Amino acid sequence: MSTSVATTGKLALLQKISTAIFGNVHNPQGLRTGNKILRQRLVGPTINSYYPNVKQIRLREITRMAPEMNLIDQAEKTRLEDLAERKKRGKGPPKKGQGRRSALKKK
Amino acid sequence: MPRARVIRDMKARATVASSEVVRQAFRYLTHNTTLPAKVRAQAQLQLNAFPRDARPTAIHNRCLETGRGRGVLRAFRLCRFQFRLKALEGELPGVKKSTW
Repeated sequence: MSTSVATTGKLALLQKISTAIFGNVHNPQGLRTGNKILRQRLVGPTINSYYPNVKQIRLREITRMAPEMNLIDQAEKTRLEDLAERKKRGKGPPKKGQGRRSALKKK
Repeated sequence: MPRARVIRDMKARATVASSEVVRQAFRYLTHNTTLPAKVRAQAQLQLNAFPRDARPTAIHNRCLETGRGRGVLRAFRLCRFQFRLKALEGELPGVKKSTW
């Protein structure tokens, strides 16, 4: 069955009217309007909640909040002791202008 | 502390979530063929200017226990071995070992 020119014109008009009534977009040529991007859901909240939000509490934060508890960070204590030991043996950091790089620069 | 790869993934997820709305707006402009070509080209440039982590493809599901990036079961967010261990321990409700 072939539709005449008049019928196709009426069908187009009908579509135009129906889109206006039902609040649809009238796009007879099927142009790419990018509306599919706007229709997509926002995935950010889902993506962002993959890992459980566990706050890592560090000993340093506790000591800062409650210094009266006199908690000792053993690793930090050992580090400072080692540094003092190295300095005693003359292995500490060189003074400014005494290091290897500045010696190279002087040449 | 979680592993470095996991931290990187966390960062990417935060970036994707924060820039998603603006990015989708630019994506709409680039995909809309009824807009002038100049506007669309500028929107494309703006999209390229986002950090690499802003793309949703930059994120990768990793194991919550070990941080392993392969063989991660999506429903449990665990890699296959951790899934097996936890299932045998009875820590995953409804998961039961079966043979047939």
